[in-house]
Amino acid sequence: MPGALTNAFADLAEGYEKRRVWWALAREDIGDQHRRTTLGPFWLLFNYMTFAGTFIFVFRSSSSGSDHYPTYVAVGLLVWLYIMETITQAMTVFVREKSFIKGTRLPLTVYVMRLAMQSVIRTLYALAGCVIILLLAGDSIHVGWLLALPGVLLLLLATPGAILVFGFLGAYVPDSQFFVANIMRIGMFLTPVFWRLETAGGGVRSLFYHWNPFTYFLEIVRQPMLNQSMPLLALGICAIITVVLWLIGLLLLGTLRRKLVFVL
Amino acid sequence: MVSIDVKNLKLVYRLRQGFSLEMADRRVSGHSQIKKRGRTRWITALDDVTFNLRAGDRLGLVGSNGAGKTTLLHVLYGTLEPSAGTVHTQGRVDALFNISLGFRHEATGRRNIIMRGLINGWSPAQIDHHMEDIIAFSELGDFIDLPFKSYSQGMAARLAFSIATCMNPEILLMDEWIGAGDTDFQHKARKRMAELAEKAGIIVLASHNHGLLRASCNRFLKLEKGRAVLLDELPAAPLRNRR
Repeated sequence: MPGALTNAFADLAEGYEKRRVWWALAREDIGDQHRRTTLGPFWLLFNYMTFAGTFIFVFRSSSSGSDHYPTYVAVGLLVWLYIMETITQAMTVFVREKSFIKGTRLPLTVYVMRLAMQSVIRTLYALAGCVIILLLAGDSIHVGWLLALPGVLLLLLATPGAILVFGFLGAYVPDSQFFVANIMRIGMFLTPVFWRLETAGGGVRSLFYHWNPFTYFLEIVRQPMLNQSMPLLALGICAIITVVLWLIGLLLLGTLRRKLVFVL
Repeated sequence: MVSIDVKNLKLVYRLRQGFSLEMADRRVSGHSQIKKRGRTRWITALDDVTFNLRAGDRLGLVGSNGAGKTTLLHVLYGTLEPSAGTVHTQGRVDALFNISLGFRHEATGRRNIIMRGLINGWSPAQIDHHMEDIIAFSELGDFIDLPFKSYSQGMAARLAFSIATCMNPEILLMDEWIGAGDTDFQHKARKRMAELAEKAGIIVLASHNHGLLRASCNRFLKLEKGRAVLLDELPAAPLRNRR
């Protein structure tokens, strides 16, 4: 195990040296996805706005009960889409990079960070939409929003760890890709993105609230935005999840980085 | 001092078959390189390969399809890890394998030069410095600002060769690519390879083109089913016809 970790840290260090590569590749990726379109990456903003707008419009009366519902949905959806996209993309990250992994000696960290970077850039476009919704909803900018920062940082910190874990899972167990895609699709409804615990009416739904890791990643960003309080319990749970993800991810990286090329 | 030392190199890899409801194939393969146990097959791509190369050596790899030429190049480059034995290389290594590996098809030639440079660990200043050289040597002209996907095989090969050789690698590994360029370019490429070797570099070139190998190499390694024999001269006729 110490050997695997040393190996993993060597990969991370090499990846840091090559930071210009993943930065360039991530920008290239965003450009590629929207090449030949007029709006370009602003489609990301538009997609988010229609998504959030529809939820707010459809579920406002039935599910809101309390106020700040648009903020609740806008922030929740922003975090959820970030998590969903990162995990879904992570499942195929190494398979997609087959040609680079076989043809160059880049450390695997480069591909992990490239995906992380790409997810962040995409979310920044959606973030612009989120701000617009918050302003339209009449929420005045509040100093308490800064309390969401630790949550955001933790979410970003967990990202590379999660990509490592799901990346190796997808490469070694190809079937898992479809399973995870399925889970993420259902996850949107099982996670309190647009429903609240108070209106869930207890029972099964509250189980989905409490025993769902995604809930806590949503809450560490959303709660400070809604009631300017620090969700310490949720932060603790997320910190533990982050450490576990990194630990598993590093062990996988250390043991499999040189063997990965044979399964692609 | 530039050198490559390979000792008792062995490379075995596992070809996994996913779980399936089909009946397992219980036939025993006659091919000695493939061993089968249950649903897993083990392929011995390289077996007990030993050789040393010193500065100025140009090694030609010969052998029929599947003999292990490409695998050996990948092991020397470091993308594949040996299962047993040791490989020591000293010197800056650059490689020209399958042309499409490591290029972005949507990006322009110019952008691909930058990306390749960054991947090889060059600084932006170094890339800038060599940009015009690379473009000039590749003879791509205005095509350099068009997407890579619009290039013909030969053009892609020319770009790849220009990038790989312009930074004066000390060790250059090449796999059966050179046939893609036209005659003029092949001539130019051969000249540049000779220059590289003169600067006390090492070149390893895998090819079926014995004429090319004879013209560019001074030592030869014949691979057969993963095993290697070092030759000082290349047999006149293609190996597979001699049996």
